[in-house]
Amino acid sequence: MSTIKEFLSADHSKCDGIFANMEEKAGESLLSARELCEEFKSQTEKHFQMEERVMFLEFENKTGMTQGPTAMMRQEHTQMRALMSQMLEAIDADNKDKFFGLSETLMILLQQHNMKEEQMLYPMAQQHLAADSDRIVSMMESLIVE
Amino acid sequence: MELTGLSTEQAPPITAPVRFFVTAPLFGILAGLLIFFTDAPTLMNRYSIESIIITHALTIGFLSFIMLGSMTQMLPVLAGAKMPKVELVTKYSYILMVVGVISMLLGLYTSNRLLNIIAFIGLGSGFLTMLIATALSLKTVSNFNATVKGISTSIVFAFFVVLMGLYLLYSYISDDIDSTHMIVANIHSVWAVFGFAVILIIGVAFQVLPMFYVAPKFKAFCKKRVVWLISIGLVIWMFLSAFYEEYTLAGKLWIAVFVWAFATTVWLKLSRRRRPISDVTVWYWRSASVFLTLGSFLWIFDEYFKHEYIVMVAILIGGFILSIVIGMLYKIVPFLVWFHLNGMGYMSIPTINEMINKRVAQIQFILFIASLIGFIFSFYMQNLLQVSAISFIISMVLLEYNVISPVLIYMKTKKTKPDFDMSMFEAPKE
Repeated sequence: MSTIKEFLSADHSKCDGIFANMEEKAGESLLSARELCEEFKSQTEKHFQMEERVMFLEFENKTGMTQGPTAMMRQEHTQMRALMSQMLEAIDADNKDKFFGLSETLMILLQQHNMKEEQMLYPMAQQHLAADSDRIVSMMESLIVE
Repeated sequence: MELTGLSTEQAPPITAPVRFFVTAPLFGILAGLLIFFTDAPTLMNRYSIESIIITHALTIGFLSFIMLGSMTQMLPVLAGAKMPKVELVTKYSYILMVVGVISMLLGLYTSNRLLNIIAFIGLGSGFLTMLIATALSLKTVSNFNATVKGISTSIVFAFFVVLMGLYLLYSYISDDIDSTHMIVANIHSVWAVFGFAVILIIGVAFQVLPMFYVAPKFKAFCKKRVVWLISIGLVIWMFLSAFYEEYTLAGKLWIAVFVWAFATTVWLKLSRRRRPISDVTVWYWRSASVFLTLGSFLWIFDEYFKHEYIVMVAILIGGFILSIVIGMLYKIVPFLVWFHLNGMGYMSIPTINEMINKRVAQIQFILFIASLIGFIFSFYMQNLLQVSAISFIISMVLLEYNVISPVLIYMKTKKTKPDFDMSMFEAPKE
């Protein structure tokens, strides 16, 4: 079974792929990208919840750090959720400029967020949670999005 | 591991990098004006005082300002490292470097000893403070990935480049320019270009290209070896140029091959990127790749022509560095403004694309590329030099406009507080 870092990093790449497809489709016609935008939103939401409801909690329980990096990551998740909702609104309004403005903003926010997680938080989590890694990955895989 | 780098409260204040970013294009404008008022034959001599002044207006005033300013933002994100006392360090380094570089340009032009002494103190203390602060923050990094290795290696080279630069400036102060001066000047320039700038860009590209453009990741060999191979090449080249000048071609070939391989890889990665968006930043990466390829080949070719084309090599490789740096500015500045405002609770702020005038950015790109091509061809058609200088000046004015616009949005939003709302960040009710 993959480690926490491998599992979540691979999920980042998966979301990146959907994001790229969504932008490509939006370049052709904004309305036709709605389905992919929703798919991206739901996949990203699942990723956020895998972190917030499983990995972050385990990490916080183990390290006692509840107001540290995980709090910051949660805050950035909130920022990204707002941007994703605004992107869907831009699609509904058929406003291409707004959509691509939001997607560019989201992309950079998302990537710098992913970098911080992959470079710092995941290795740290893997280090502290190595013994429970399989269990945590399994819980994240089986998570049902709320 | 420095996890505090993840916290917004502990993230560097926006003023830390922005003061460098806003100032840099002004030095670009100054360099353009100096080129405009200088004749082509003078600029074709790399050792003419005018060439040295213009080169340093660009390398210190423009490139170093942006690269060191970016470092304050890149370290927490790419390496999880936080620069100690970042606001204090950047504020005083900035003042020292501005005073230093202006004194140096004026001091060299007027052969004024006092100004050169002020430049020596300002640039020496300003650069060394920034480099030492960066090195100290990198010491705390435990996840020493390819990007961190690239940044660290470039900082080591930068340290030697600054020391050599100070030695060269001291030669002007003491009015003692001997044969060693020329050897050191040569090593100083090559290490600054390849050791500091190119290696830093390579290290950052390992992360930035796959992340921002969803391009394929760099191969493990590239990430693990290229920085070391170029570094070894630079050390070999240094010994050859100092002691066995007739064999320097071997060192040059070593460096040029790997640098060219990187340039080609960048082009291929961009061609295979999954994100289809082609904005001005992609154009800049593309043009950078072309400039670096041509510059590397011409650097080798130049060896057979008694360094007749060395200024052309400098324009091409300088074009590579400038292109990357300008392209990244278009991403970094609006994002920083958006990120800081959003983090403060301002919700209805412009998106990144709305902060930068895309049309102006495109015109800026065209004028910039046209000016570089013009500078190269002014070797053969000297009338082109002034026209190209005007094109370069306008491109720098437009760049300044596009850098200042998001900063003004930041200042205006903070002043008018249009829709301050932190409810989004409140903890959910149980």
